[in-house]
Parts: sequence; C-alpha cells; structure tokens
Amino acid sequence: MAFQMTRRSFLQASASAALTTALSTWLASGAQARSGFVRKPFTAPGSFGDTTTVTGGVCEMCFWRCQLVGKLRDGKLVKLEGNPKSIDNGASICARGNAGVKLLYDPDRLKYPLKNVGKRGAPVWKRISWDEALDECASRLQGVIKNNGPQGIAIFPHGASATYPMHYFEKVVGTPNNSEASFFQCRGPRDMAYINTFGVQAGENVDMPNAKAILLVGTHIGENIHVSHVKQYLKGLENGAKLIVVDPRFSSSAAKADVWVQIKPGTDTAFLLAVMNYLVKKKTYDSAYVQKNGEGFDKFAKAIAHAELDWAAKICDVPAAQIKEVADLLATNAPHVSIHPGRHVTWYGTDFQRERALACLTGLLGAIGTKGGFVVPKGPKLGKVAWPDIGAEHAEEFALHKMAEKHQFSPPGTPTQMLRDTAISGKPYAIKACITWGQNPIQTIPGQQETIKMLQQMDFVMVVDVMPTDITMYADILLPELSYLERYDIVKTGVQWDLNDKHQQYIAPRMPLVSSVSADHQRKDSVWITNELAKRLGHTKQIPAPSAEAMVDKILAGAQLSVAQIRKEDGIHLQSGTDPYGMVYPVRFFNEDLADAGYSGAPSYTPVAEPPQGFARLVYGRVPVHTFNRTMNNVWLNAEIPENPIWLNQTTAEKLGLKNGDRINLVNQDGVVSVKAGVLKVTLGIRKDTIFTAHGYGTKNPAMTNGVNKGFDDQALITNPAVDPETGAHGMRTSFVRIMKDGKVLSIPA
Amino acid sequence: MNCPQSETPASLYRFLAQSFRYPEQAWLTEPYFDLLGNIKQNLALNSDATGLHWNYNAESDGLELLQIEYTRLFINAAPAVIAPPYSSIYLDHEGNLYGQSAVWVKQFYQLHGFDVEGEGDIPDHLVLELEFLALLIEEQQGDKAEQFLNEHFRRWFPLFRERVLSGSTNQFYSTLLTLVDFFTREEP
Ligand code: SF4
Repeated sequence: MAFQMTRRSFLQASASAALTTALSTWLASGAQARSGFVRKPFTAPGSFGDTTTVTGGVCEMCFWRCQLVGKLRDGKLVKLEGNPKSIDNGASICARGNAGVKLLYDPDRLKYPLKNVGKRGAPVWKRISWDEALDECASRLQGVIKNNGPQGIAIFPHGASATYPMHYFEKVVGTPNNSEASFFQCRGPRDMAYINTFGVQAGENVDMPNAKAILLVGTHIGENIHVSHVKQYLKGLENGAKLIVVDPRFSSSAAKADVWVQIKPGTDTAFLLAVMNYLVKKKTYDSAYVQKNGEGFDKFAKAIAHAELDWAAKICDVPAAQIKEVADLLATNAPHVSIHPGRHVTWYGTDFQRERALACLTGLLGAIGTKGGFVVPKGPKLGKVAWPDIGAEHAEEFALHKMAEKHQFSPPGTPTQMLRDTAISGKPYAIKACITWGQNPIQTIPGQQETIKMLQQMDFVMVVDVMPTDITMYADILLPELSYLERYDIVKTGVQWDLNDKHQQYIAPRMPLVSSVSADHQRKDSVWITNELAKRLGHTKQIPAPSAEAMVDKILAGAQLSVAQIRKEDGIHLQSGTDPYGMVYPVRFFNEDLADAGYSGAPSYTPVAEPPQGFARLVYGRVPVHTFNRTMNNVWLNAEIPENPIWLNQTTAEKLGLKNGDRINLVNQDGVVSVKAGVLKVTLGIRKDTIFTAHGYGTKNPAMTNGVNKGFDDQALITNPAVDPETGAHGMRTSFVRIMKDGKVLSIPA
Repeated sequence: MNCPQSETPASLYRFLAQSFRYPEQAWLTEPYFDLLGNIKQNLALNSDATGLHWNYNAESDGLELLQIEYTRLFINAAPAVIAPPYSSIYLDHEGNLYGQSAVWVKQFYQLHGFDVEGEGDIPDHLVLELEFLALLIEEQQGDKAEQFLNEHFRRWFPLFRERVLSGSTNQFYSTLLTLVDFFTREEP
C-alpha cells in the first residue's frame, strides 16, 4: 500500500476536524443501522454456570427423528446429545446426529432471500427482502394459476417442514402435481403393498428384539443407521435370533448373518415366491392364521405353484438347498419371525410385487401381532392442524395418473415420471411453475437431463432450502429456511423401542434448541413462509395456524398438552401405553382389487432386464455417516467418509488388472461416464455381475464448499429408470456399467 | 491517553461498519458518498493507493450491481461465496462459523460491558467488530480497542481482505477495505 500518511498524521491534519464534524452530522441524520449491541454489565459465570442444557430437540440429520438435547454455552450450541428421557433413541445419537452442530454453523448455509438475476442453472444472486421475494413468488404463481390452472404448479417437497406448504398447494391451491421423494424414489411401493395386503402401513414395524429369526432382503442395517431401529436389531441378535440376509453384497448385515443368500440382483421376488410355495406345499405355514384371516389363499397358492425351488435357484443363482434352508428356518421359528419390509425399496420397477410377497410371507408365517413378528404399536393421539380441502376436488380431477388410468395403486401425489413427462411435453396440460421445498430433485430423481429440461421450461422456479444444494442453482427465487435446530415443526410420537418392555408412549415436538434471533440471517420457518404466500394468494381465511409454534401447540392440545407443558417435562411427555401384541390383520393373499385393475392379484415375479455382455448391474446403498446428499457438506461427516467407494469383485478385478485403491470411472449403457473417478474397493464380498457404490455423493454446486466434487454422483448414471406399474414409483437399480481406467473402457468378464 | 486508537473518532468506525452492511438505497445516499469522498481526499493527499481515486458513479456502478457483488462476496454465491465476513472462517481450522475465535470475541465484548443484541447473533461479524471499536472509543477505552485489534482483529482482517481482493475487482469494496486497514493497522 502506498500511503505516505500515518493514521496519526491523518488525524492531526487540519482537514480532519472538518471530517469529524461531517461524520457527526451524518450519524445524527440516522442514516446508519443500530449498532447491534446492548449494554450488559459483566457477570462472571459460576463454575457450572456457563453450560446450559436445552431440551426439546428432534434430529433431522436423517428422518428417524431421534430426540435431542442441546448443550449451549452463552448462546452457542456446543454439543448435541440424545435426550436421556427418550424411550426411543435414549441417550444415544448417531454420527450424523452429533454433526448437526456443524450444519448449524455451516458458512455455506442460505441466509437471506435471493433473486437469481443470472440464468437458471448458472445463477447470479442478489439478496432481496422477504417482502420483495414473497410478492414476486405470489405474483408469478398467480400468473401460472391464471394461465394454466392450479395444476400448472408442481411441488417437490421433502421433510417435516415441507408438509405444511405441500398441503397448502394440494388442498387449497388445488394442484395434484406433488412428487415426494420419500414415496416415489423411496418407500412408496412398500407402503402401498402393505396397505393392500394387511390394510395398514408397513413402516419398519417388525419386533426384532423379540424375534427368533429375522429376514432382511437388501436391507443393510448398520450401513443404514436409525438409532432405535439399530438397537432393536442388535437386541434381537443378542437374544439369539437367526439372521437371514438376502443381498448380492457382503453388507454389514450379511457379515452378521447365519445365512447369507448371495442372490442375483433383480430376482428377490422369485426367491420369495419359492419360499412361500415350499411352505404351502410342505404345509409348514401357519394354516390356522391363514384360514382365519387369509383372503384368496387358494388362488394365491395356485398362482405361485410354479415357483419350485429349482426354478428359483436358477433364476436367483443360489443353491436350491439354501432356499429350502431359509424356508425351513422361518417355519421353525414362526410365528416369531421378523420379515423386514425394507425402507428404500425403489429398485427395479417391479417393487410393489416384491413388497407384496414380503407381506404375504409374513401372513403365511402367522407372524402378525406375535412376539418377534409384524407388530404395529399404538401411539398416542394428537390434535390436528389442517388446511381446508377447498381445492382438493380440482386436484383430483387433474391428477395425471387418474386421467390416464395408470398406476392405480400410487401413493399420495403424482408419480414423478408422469409429472416430468407432462411438464416437458405440455400434454395433457402445461406445468409451468415448480416449487421445491427441502428436496433436491437433481439428486433424488433419476434421469437428470429430463429433470433439467423440465425446470428450464418452467415460467417460474421457487426453491426453499437450508443448504445451497444442486437444485438451488435452478431457482428464480431462493428462500432460506431455518434448520431443525432453530424451529418448531412436527410432533414426533411413538412407543418404547423394545415392545416387550413396559408399555409406554411418548410425545416429543420439535422445538428450537437455539435462538433464531440474529442479525446474521433472515431465515424463516415453513409455516411463516407458507402463510405469507397464502395471504398474498388470497387465502388468509384458510390459514390454519398463525405460526409454527401455534401449530405445534394446537397439535399438542389434542393430547391435553402444550409447548409450555412439554418444556416443563424436559422435551418429552411420557404416558402409559397399551399391549401391542395380539392384534390380527387380514391378509389379502390374492387381492381382487389388484386383479380388477389389471395387475397380478397374487405376488408375481417379472424378470428385469439383464446386463448386456461386458456390463455389470450398478446397485447402491448408504454409508453410515451420510444421509445421501443431505449431509455431504458437513465438515465432520465429510471428513469421515469423503468419497463413495466402488465395490468390485476380486476375481473380476484380477482379470482386469485392477487393484484395491485404483481410481476408476464408471460408464453406463448409454455412454454416460461418471464425472469423477472413484476409489476401487476390491472384495470377495460382491457378485461378479454387480457393482456397488454409495448414493448421494458428487454434489455439483460449488456453493457447497465441502461437499462439491467429493465422490461421484451415481444418480447421473441412472439414465434408464424403470417405473413400477402399480405405484408409478421409480426403479433405480436399472443401470449397467463398465469400468474406465486411464481413458480405456474395460468390459466386465462374465 | 497516548494511544492511537483513542484519537480515531468513534464515528469513523461506525461509518466503516455501516459500509459493510448490505447496500441499500436508504443509506447509500449522497451524504454517504460525500463523506466517503471526504475521507478519501484526506487520505489521498499524496498517495496513489488502490481505489482512492475512484468515485462512485450511480449509473455505471448502480445499486443493483453493488447488491449482487455484496451477495456474491459475503452471503451466497455461485460458484461459491468469496469471503464470509467472520473471523472464525479464517482463524479456526474447520472454517465453520462460531468457532473458538468467535467465542473469544463474545467474551471480550462481555468483559467490557457489552453483548450482541440477538440471542442467535454470531459475534465475530466484521460489522459487529467495527461497531464494537466505536463503542470502546466512546467509552474512552482506546487501550482496550488497541488490545482488541492486536489480539484479534489484525489476525484475521488481512486474510479476509486478501480473499476479497483476489476474488473481486469491485472498487467500492476494495476502497473500503483499504480504509478499514488504514484505521485498524498497527502503527508505531
Ligand atoms: S438416526 Fe442419527 S441422524 Fe437419524 S435422527 Fe437419529 S441421530 Fe439423527
């Protein structure tokens, strides 16, 4: 720097007196903002006075919602712990739960409403006020409603805070075009299959702690961590339950298994049919339960009669003796067997049928309402906050799958593939506005190029999120949401994690652990944002709750509770529960409704496309420290597992001259190459026809400064998703890949 | 008090603090630019320091461009925010907000009878630190201001300034950074 001058000489210069006067005048004019300080006499903290415990937290690093307490030091969150009062996760939380502190103070978080003054996909951001942002959102949405009808708005929500706006747009505004990743790219086929078999949602309601045998098909507990669920699973194993794991890969669960069925991917339903057929033929199923509660059993038995052990053995590439072993093991331990329904089940586009098979197998074993079986415990009753249904009829009329008479067993909302196709083609109507709320459709939905096409044809794109995920690059207006540590939203309920323990119920609303009062940002919660939009769209009268806190209060009032009361009770209200065992569900072995709609009434196996010669099937799962893309930017978690490894069979690797730790790319059947080379993990623990990696890596938005370009995005390789005919959910383990090393493409030997 | 800090008028720090708030019509007025010009003139007597000969031009510089630049530099950006204006980003190894240095800053405020207004405020924002210097000087605690600068501010501000200057050619902010540096740097 080229100053000749020192500060002192500057201040002593005669001109500076005039400057001081000018400054004082300017200050007196009140042009400057408040200082941001308050006077506060200093009081030394006592020896224990400096750390306080705040209760009422509910984790959202994943969607299991463990109950938390926060340790605060003078306003700063220093640590998160499980709430010791919890009868669910207890004092334990997982690595991601711990790392929530780092989300709270992540400098990349969204802070103010932003307007994109550049292009969609290549944004230039300008901070704007909330009024400006909301006015613009409202007028642009209004424009779309006027020109295209409410159905011209699509919404992609995810997470607890997105429920309130989602219901507003569905029920009040009247759009059917709502695509939840948690259904159409995750649990939809499971939920619909169980509803259409037992009449109730599956959840993950198997009583593993008290099971004598546990069957996991593809589920890899241990890599997929949900604290109380892991506790249930481990307690079961500790109590001596036999574990059967069906998985092409030696997963963390397979590693603990008594029987590991190293199945060929895509053939699980054939395996399940053969198990059931064997039980039926051998009459080792629970005939008493089936007779009393079964529906269409004879038709079912006939429909699966072809599924001999040898038939399945050939299809599944496993020994017939092993299928028999599994069936016998289940029958011997019935009815105390946990047939796990799975969670992320959108695999091949034939998933509803596989889930139906799991439910029917559960029924066949009479493992319903029994210790160790499928048991849905009764949770506490709560009040409700609901938007009125004034637009629901319109939404129903324009629901794409209903208009086309397709996917009659779709979960709530509109199947993503139909929604996106419609937006791109404009047929049968135009979809011109897109709202994403907590979902990152770039990474949740397969077929990224189509998703981008869909976004580019929109008249308006509004995004609400906590972090600058990839979708935020496509926003016209980007709104910052408070994190789960700073807001009120859902009320989590449940029962003690081991159903065999003292029967208790809990009620735990999500309440802020840290204050959101700050000049550093203008983040808001979803209730406030939605209400402000609703006011501008003429729905002031329909607003069901004036604030998030009031909403929670109203929900709690249904249980004669309040936010204030829950605070007194350290964040969790406990009450006595009821015995969950002994309930009986009907089992629709053959479902006539399905048959009437043209689907298979009994669980059926449809072969999926085989890998072309030289390719292997790409399957994916989780790593225990990440919730897919949501946690990728977190400094702690990122440091733990920064990249997704690529599992390759050892014999294959030897033939190709590849070693553990080599850097390779994957190339799919359409020639799409993974953007970045991944690290090879050479192992005997995977089939030759299968390559595995973890999902959710490879963030593209450089605004996520830790997560960007870490690992590669396997979603980019899923260019040929299948669609489940019954539910319309995506199948995402449909891609086939070869390996690219140093620019050379290597075929996978058979 | 024979300390250089007590001689710098509090109003000057307050002016600089305001300059690093989000650019808005409400305060980016003619009197503001007159003042900025005035300070620069006083400084630039025999200097060719960066930016000091630049003058704001409402037409070519435009408020909106300034807002976009502020957003890009300090809030959120594509591809990435250039320089979050918090000390922990530069001083704490994880580069997160509210690191140890921010805790130190908050305690320093409290020891001197002040605290940040919002319960969730992050204490080490550039604007707050400059406002705090103004408060100390008003309270005749120039030596404490010097201590604050010495033990904290001068450790991170140059790193922050470097990040802005290497990521931006904006004259307004480079000028302001030069001024902040001038009024906070160590002098014999
Ligand atoms: S399992 Fe882990 S990330 Fe999920 S809610 Fe519980 S603590 Fe949070």
